[in-house]
Amino acid sequence: MIQKQNSPIQRGWLRRNALPLLLFAFLVLFPFIVGAITDSSPYGVVRGDRMIMRGESVRWQSVLIEAYILIILAMSYNLLFGFTGVISFGHALFFGTSGYVLGLMLEYTAIDTTLALFVGAALGIVLCGVLALVIGFVTLRLKGVYFAIFTLAVAEMFYIFFSRWQLTRAEDGFAITELPAWLDPSQSRINFYYLSLAAVILTFVFIRRLVNSPSGAVFKAIRENEDRAQSMGYNTLNYKLLSIMFAGMLAGVAGLLQVILNKKVGPELLGVSYTVDPLLMTIIGGIGTFTGPVIGAGGLHFLDVFLRDAQINLGGVVIDIANIWALLLGVIFILAVIVFPFGIVGTWQRWQARRHRHPEKPLPDAAAGQD
Amino acid sequence: MTDALLSARGLRKTFGGLVAVDDVSIEIAAGMTHSIIGPNGAGKTTLFNLLTGRYHPTRGVVVYKGRDITALPVYKRAHLGIGRSFQITNLFPNLTVLENARLAAQALGKDNFRIFRLATSFDSYIRRAYEVLEITGLREVAALPANTLPHGGKRKLELAMILACDPELLLLDEPTAGMASEQVPELIQIIDRIREQGAKTIVMVEHNMSVVMNISDRITVMHQGRVLAEGDPRQIAADRMVQAVYLGELYDLPKGESA
Repeated sequence: MIQKQNSPIQRGWLRRNALPLLLFAFLVLFPFIVGAITDSSPYGVVRGDRMIMRGESVRWQSVLIEAYILIILAMSYNLLFGFTGVISFGHALFFGTSGYVLGLMLEYTAIDTTLALFVGAALGIVLCGVLALVIGFVTLRLKGVYFAIFTLAVAEMFYIFFSRWQLTRAEDGFAITELPAWLDPSQSRINFYYLSLAAVILTFVFIRRLVNSPSGAVFKAIRENEDRAQSMGYNTLNYKLLSIMFAGMLAGVAGLLQVILNKKVGPELLGVSYTVDPLLMTIIGGIGTFTGPVIGAGGLHFLDVFLRDAQINLGGVVIDIANIWALLLGVIFILAVIVFPFGIVGTWQRWQARRHRHPEKPLPDAAAGQD
Repeated sequence: MTDALLSARGLRKTFGGLVAVDDVSIEIAAGMTHSIIGPNGAGKTTLFNLLTGRYHPTRGVVVYKGRDITALPVYKRAHLGIGRSFQITNLFPNLTVLENARLAAQALGKDNFRIFRLATSFDSYIRRAYEVLEITGLREVAALPANTLPHGGKRKLELAMILACDPELLLLDEPTAGMASEQVPELIQIIDRIREQGAKTIVMVEHNMSVVMNISDRITVMHQGRVLAEGDPRQIAADRMVQAVYLGELYDLPKGESA
């Protein structure tokens, strides 16, 4: 009986979520699918008593891990920018800070490696949250551009500090040599692949939950009209602090993954490109949509991967795309903004909404008859 | 007077060298509908913003229920039961009509930081939102984005949102601003219904004289930053000085009215 009652609901749920579930299954099986197609092992190649990360499957795992990291970063940026309407130019600050905290913990303390990993990760994320709250508390009273400029200044300050700090080897940064074998992407990449996949999914679910909560409703109200939200009784500063705190912590998660993947910590983590990239990815994908940053970040990353090493042959003149990549990215961005003024997902949603509203209009009599 | 819900004493507000409001004292009695009128630049809107907390006065105090609220920020006043509407339509444009009203209903509740529950799982706020949409005749369009409403609909949503907060004191800034004249009676009906609902006190800045004369219990006339006259609609309409500066020859009291 109970099963009979439940099954239509479950079937409905399955059908509604068919696409994300299929995508999830594909991403879980991805290392094995690529392995089967290219006849390479998803675990790498055995050499003596250890694994060497060689072969197409492990190579593509890194490509996807890079995409996951950018997606988390873009989603965290979208929480603040797309859902709360706060434009920050200093998002790289959180990305780099957690990376440095983890790196310092692993390489500069004598604690056991596994413990250092967990403590470093937790500390990095917490510090990002605290940093976000402090910056927010000082500056979120400022509006729009002033806040953006202030965050840019703080991020640049950190960038300059870490480019000069001799302890962390200034501009060169330092390599991560100690990682537990089960996580080390140069020994067991597939484990790290699944960890990153889990991080993306959890971030996605968390942000959707947060945005659909009563606080998330206020985020959107602030984005739409902060004065009005205040006059209704919302102390909007608190909600903006909540938003920037979570955005900072999630960007911190992305920073941790980046450091583990590249096994290197350096000031480039704090560079302005880790602010601008998620901004562009969010705009192209769709500001204030859940899937927009996923599509924007994933799409741009794959364009990057596929096009960067390609060559164009124009009547005997060979152009390396790598040399004109920045230019090409600019053109893609301009085209995307013209074709999709609300981002890919946002424009799609508007188009869908219009399509669904239209069929009712030619039938006013039928609608009137129902009432 | 002891029954004043909101009172201001000696309010002065200057912007640089300009004195927008000069030594204004006003008492809003509980349960009354009190209109503030005056020609453009008389300081009505500034006075209004001083009462709502958007501006803080250069001098003077604002007292609500015996409590000095002069320095209280806008959102805290909302928690004391003061709600305001806006002259320029001021909604959450890309959210649905229902979500606009629901946000208003949620504002003074205690669930705003429950981040692991869905906003739509709090039935009482949704019920309240539908209630106020019913009162303002917007229930049919609840699912549309607010910016797709016609202007009159937006003005009604303004009222719905301030109603949803259930304030004791409603501050209405030109509720009929920009509305087509045939839509005005409908809006007056809504305001009337709000007044009937309970012990609501309304302070209103309004240009439309027929609205003011019809629904006000008391009228304050401002001119050049000062209070020129105060009284009930009949007294104001009869006041020579008010006629001279403001009403001109245009307004005659409706015949046979006995208020």
